[in-house]
Amino acid sequence: MGKLKFALYWGAACGGCDVAVVDTHEKLLDIVAAADILFWPVAMDFKYHDVEEMADQHIDICLFNGAVRNSENEHIAHLLRQKSKVMVAFGACAQLGGIPGLANEKRGKEILDYVYHGSPSTISPKEVYPQEVVSVSGVELKLPRFYETVMALDQVVEVDYYVPGCPPESARILEVVQAIVTGNLPPKGSVVGALDKALCDTCPRKREEKKVKAFYRPHEILFDLERCFLEQGLICLGPATRGGCSDPPRCIRSNMPCRGCYGPPPDVTDQGVKMMSAIGSIIDSQDPEKIEQIIHGIADPLGTFYRFGLPASALRKKRFL
Amino acid sequence: MKKISIDPITRLEGHGKIEIFLNDQGDVENAYFQVPELRGFEVFCLGRPVEELPRIVPRICGV
Amino acid sequence: MDRFEPRIIGFYCNWSSQTGVDGAGVEGASYPSNLRLIRVMCSGSIDPEVVIEAFKRGADGVLILGCHLGNCHYRNGNYNTLRRIRLLQKTLEQFGLEKERLRLEWVSVAEGKRFACLVNEMTEELRKLGPFKQLA
Repeated sequence: MGKLKFALYWGAACGGCDVAVVDTHEKLLDIVAAADILFWPVAMDFKYHDVEEMADQHIDICLFNGAVRNSENEHIAHLLRQKSKVMVAFGACAQLGGIPGLANEKRGKEILDYVYHGSPSTISPKEVYPQEVVSVSGVELKLPRFYETVMALDQVVEVDYYVPGCPPESARILEVVQAIVTGNLPPKGSVVGALDKALCDTCPRKREEKKVKAFYRPHEILFDLERCFLEQGLICLGPATRGGCSDPPRCIRSNMPCRGCYGPPPDVTDQGVKMMSAIGSIIDSQDPEKIEQIIHGIADPLGTFYRFGLPASALRKKRFL
Repeated sequence: MKKISIDPITRLEGHGKIEIFLNDQGDVENAYFQVPELRGFEVFCLGRPVEELPRIVPRICGV
Repeated sequence: MDRFEPRIIGFYCNWSSQTGVDGAGVEGASYPSNLRLIRVMCSGSIDPEVVIEAFKRGADGVLILGCHLGNCHYRNGNYNTLRRIRLLQKTLEQFGLEKERLRLEWVSVAEGKRFACLVNEMTEELRKLGPFKQLA
């Protein structure tokens, strides 16, 4: 049996997931010893036509990170799906839509208008916008179509596995590669490289009782460094986030409450709504006016509860009519 | 006119392509660099609480 | 041209609000058929996810009915409803949900007429607002 054939690609991405692979440091050599990488734009010079020329299912595993937000992302997702035996949604953007998914709160036109014309640092007197096709000096140049909706990878192609995280922890990536190489993957559709329980189960902070009388923004209180964030009124998405990123969770260890980048825990599709439910049940008041006040203390609930998962959530995209 | 496409450009962060057009003599007549990506951080960051920005904007570029 | 008829999904609890809802019939107070009712044991059991699902499937409004605060058959269930649904309302506002579309009301056993009145009122408000199409 020859070496496994890997491909790594990015849609609407930041490169962090690719850096997470590179951050396996010397263990990257172990990965390369076990696998040939046939396509990886951040690190290697293979082109799209190289992929187009491959036979179907020639690639064993494709790790696709980044969301789908334009026609090129979607086209390459379909192309790689066709040329790969196994497609992995790698990282929060591919799994859930990720941070770029926050754009689903806005109109596509609003984004184009502001970026190409309206922003304070843009000078565009002729109000030029990118076009899908433009004729210049007798030749035609093409750009992908900018979609109105940001999508997760499984909203355009069939996905076999999900590796969560923004980015996935390098140690978890190694475990996933190990599982792939030894043929030890769970059933298709599974989330790999994470635990099957919520983040709270791996959190080292002291928990007493969850009864919150107010929610605070970080500049509003001096918080205890050992106690559960939620109990102190700082919103932490731990209860609605899959655990297993690292032990102890890196954000918690750095005195930052969890922001939910590992996506929803098992059996939950909409991370945001579950977190809303959780917050609702820990508010310690039976007075409607006080409850109103407490809820008012949560700045930007949409952004807080759906930071990484808006495209994959039940809300998905705000429609403008 | 012959066209050479470099798509995608590689070994850097981000999407890009280069289209090179050669004349009949085989010299470069025109070359174009295009960026086929846009996510819109400039817009969806507006209105967010300031403490969230250090968590959102590192995702502009993870490199 | 046909008048727009809003579709309202109403979740009502098995205790005070069920008797209240029934009471409308007993008292001869009619309410429009725009409201489709779904009974649950306690309003506190309504997951905000179900509310979003109702809107996604075509509801123009969602009405949640429970016992008055302090009178929940299960003691605290309706406080949970209040907290969760208020938070859901606040989040959905960012998504363009007008406050008339998601209502939480406490209905007691003797409030059949009041229930019918509020359904009429909600239906009329939603007729003016038009269909809800904010969720993709």
